[in-house]
Amino acid sequence: MQKEKDDFLHLINENKGIIIKICNSYCSNKTDREDLAQEIIYTIWKGSKTFNPDFKFSTWMYRVALNVAISFYRANKKLQNNISLDETEVEIEDKVLNSSSEENLHLLQKQIAGLKELDKALVILYFEEKSYKEIADIVGISETNVATKLSRIKEKLKNEITKFKK
Amino acid sequence: MEDIELKNIWKVYDQKIEEAKILNLQSWVVNLKTFEYLQTHKAQSKLRSLANFKIWAIVAGIVWLLFLGVLAYGNHFQNVYFTSSVIAILFFTIIAVAVYIKQVVLINQINYSESVVNTQQNLTELQASTINVARVLFLQTPFYTTFFWSTKWITSDIKFWLIAFPVTLFFTFLAIWLYRSISFKNANKKWFKILMGKKEWESIVIAKEYLNEIEEFKKG
Repeated sequence: MQKEKDDFLHLINENKGIIIKICNSYCSNKTDREDLAQEIIYTIWKGSKTFNPDFKFSTWMYRVALNVAISFYRANKKLQNNISLDETEVEIEDKVLNSSSEENLHLLQKQIAGLKELDKALVILYFEEKSYKEIADIVGISETNVATKLSRIKEKLKNEITKFKK
Repeated sequence: MEDIELKNIWKVYDQKIEEAKILNLQSWVVNLKTFEYLQTHKAQSKLRSLANFKIWAIVAGIVWLLFLGVLAYGNHFQNVYFTSSVIAILFFTIIAVAVYIKQVVLINQINYSESVVNTQQNLTELQASTINVARVLFLQTPFYTTFFWSTKWITSDIKFWLIAFPVTLFFTFLAIWLYRSISFKNANKKWFKILMGKKEWESIVIAKEYLNEIEEFKKG
């Protein structure tokens, strides 16, 4: 039992960065983010007992995390629409943006927050260096479709960031 | 701006997360208390809440079915109109309960480890299937206007033909019309919103829009 617990905690520790990024992308306030993180971890914990080791763990985990996040987001969508875009930035203790790279990140987060939920999933996976094949497998669309959509989304993000910076 | 520049912006995220010690701020994620919380299954997912709501609806439906059964049996089939009406209402309630049972089974079969598009489509179709229960339940309405009929009333009272029968006829046409009209394609109509109630209507419209969005997303 202790080993099972340690293994699980190790797994979550290794992947907590992506869980937090997903939570930040789909939830605009701290309480929701914590609820979502808990729900993701609970679903991973529940599913890990039946996980088939023949499959790649990261693909499985991304599927679970994104499915839970999108469902959570949709369940709270009405509420979210009433929240200003400024609240969508990442929760950081030191909110002062002390470099242009942080300012760019802030802009990028804002733009991602404005994307549709399925597009958000695509762009998060792209930024996490997943291959088109793996993205296609996680999301459930063809590789060509992934490439086309990502190309459009990236163009949109670039334009918006450039526009803001002018 | 190049793709690599976009990726570099995202990489700042990892640094900021570490610097800001967000991972430490959210240490509940990995602490023992959370683990025990998970272990005792106290955490309730939204989906679980939906399943619980439907289980309560099934229990209420079964209680209603028992009540109807007692009514039909208690009448000893003496009044054919009363008995027929109760049996008809019983029949439609059984269908509604069966649909709810099917939905609970579907909820338990939802697999978050399937692809995002598949899971989201299944979840949204489940949300949208509320519409089927409403359609079936409306079909029972005419039978609430027939249970007090009697042969004597039909054969000797003109008021039956002037009032009671037209009312039943009206509810029959209305029920059939509603059964045929309550569908996704009419979800944006005003009467639909009034009929379903604001909350239910919103949930159906959102599900409808999302299903369209998923279809568009799949097409590319």
